[in-house]
Amino acid sequence: MSEFMRTRLWDNNAALVQMLGLCPLLAVSNNVINALGMGIATVTVVVITNFLVSLIRPMTRQEIRIPLFVLLIASVVTVIEMVMNAYFHQLYLILGIFIPLIVTNCLIMGRAEAYASKNPLWSSVKDGFYMGLGFALVMVIIGAMRELIGQGTLFSQAHLLFGDWGEHLTLTIIPEYSGFLVAVLPPGAFFALAILVALKNKRDAQLKQKEKQVQSETATESS
Amino acid sequence: MSQQKPSNKSIWSLPVILAVITVITSAVLMLTHELTKDTIEQQRLEARLKSLQRLLPEQLFNNDVIADAVTIFEPEQLGHRKPKQLFIAKKDGTITALAIPVVARNGYSGDIELMVGVTVAGKITDVAIINHKETPGLGDLIERNKSDWLQQFPGHSLENPEQKNWKVKKDGGQFDQITAATITPRAVVAAIKKALLYQQSTNFESMTNEAIKDV
Repeated sequence: MSEFMRTRLWDNNAALVQMLGLCPLLAVSNNVINALGMGIATVTVVVITNFLVSLIRPMTRQEIRIPLFVLLIASVVTVIEMVMNAYFHQLYLILGIFIPLIVTNCLIMGRAEAYASKNPLWSSVKDGFYMGLGFALVMVIIGAMRELIGQGTLFSQAHLLFGDWGEHLTLTIIPEYSGFLVAVLPPGAFFALAILVALKNKRDAQLKQKEKQVQSETATESS
Repeated sequence: MSQQKPSNKSIWSLPVILAVITVITSAVLMLTHELTKDTIEQQRLEARLKSLQRLLPEQLFNNDVIADAVTIFEPEQLGHRKPKQLFIAKKDGTITALAIPVVARNGYSGDIELMVGVTVAGKITDVAIINHKETPGLGDLIERNKSDWLQQFPGHSLENPEQKNWKVKKDGGQFDQITAATITPRAVVAAIKKALLYQQSTNFESMTNEAIKDV
């Protein structure tokens, strides 16, 4: 994994470290399929907006950059919404309310401001992709946790996203499970996110510890 | 003077840049809207027809159901909060079936809007959930594409089962509930019963669009 990818997927993960875009992250992660749909939509939007923001970089002035970004992001999302409504109507009916919600995702504004407005086209597109991917992965993991604990299944209602063959994707992990409501309700999203953040911090601490050990070992050897 | 010039220029360039970008984005939005609006309208109509076709089977009518729809407002009998469209299927001028809008106000969270398809004989053709805010993963299993709970209703009428048995099993009635969610199915069953009672007690022959418009 290159340094570029690693920063975006792990060290500086949009959801776990920067805590950006919590609104869609918590609201739409009640099962894997919803999370996946929203994740794909978010990656698409952030790649396109990063591309456009980088494209108009020569025109952007410090004083008016925020309204420019808002205009661009809102337009891109609206165009995507209309196109989906016209040509992917089934998907639109499922993700319909979440699409306008993408506008509120600070991840998109954040990447436009922090990266795309200062960097060339191709790396901005890559940045958007990996940042979005990092966000989408966390979202899918939270969705899986909540769905598994809440309903005992994974990939339920996959046919909403993948059509008829999705019917066979649903995995019933815990049969005859009576459900654990809290996981599906909003508090479950906070718990799941907190657990993930804690796990990530623990792993980072372990990695640091190891690094220190290696450093001190090399230090003693050289002395 | 020479130092002021560039800053002046950059100040004036700001609104120009903003205006240019605004015009471009507006143009893109308008273009997309123009290109997609017909398809969107068609998709909406198709989705509506499709859901109506479940409620009103094709062989039952040969009129234009959407054009012949009447607006009703029955807060008492059907729980409406605002006027709703009632669809009447006619075969050669005689009413064969109805799609009755009904609102269950006693759901777990907020109103549940339904459409109940009934033949003139009072038999349910199908039930459609139009709108609801029930708990995802539990109450929302009433939706057709999330579980087959709704499929137990077609074929039933006020005589089958008897009126006193128009309840979920937990309340001593005949209909299945959903595990861990009783309130939602209870509300839906009661709403369907309301629609059937309304169908029985109302004279639809006298209902025309004109009569309603006059009111």
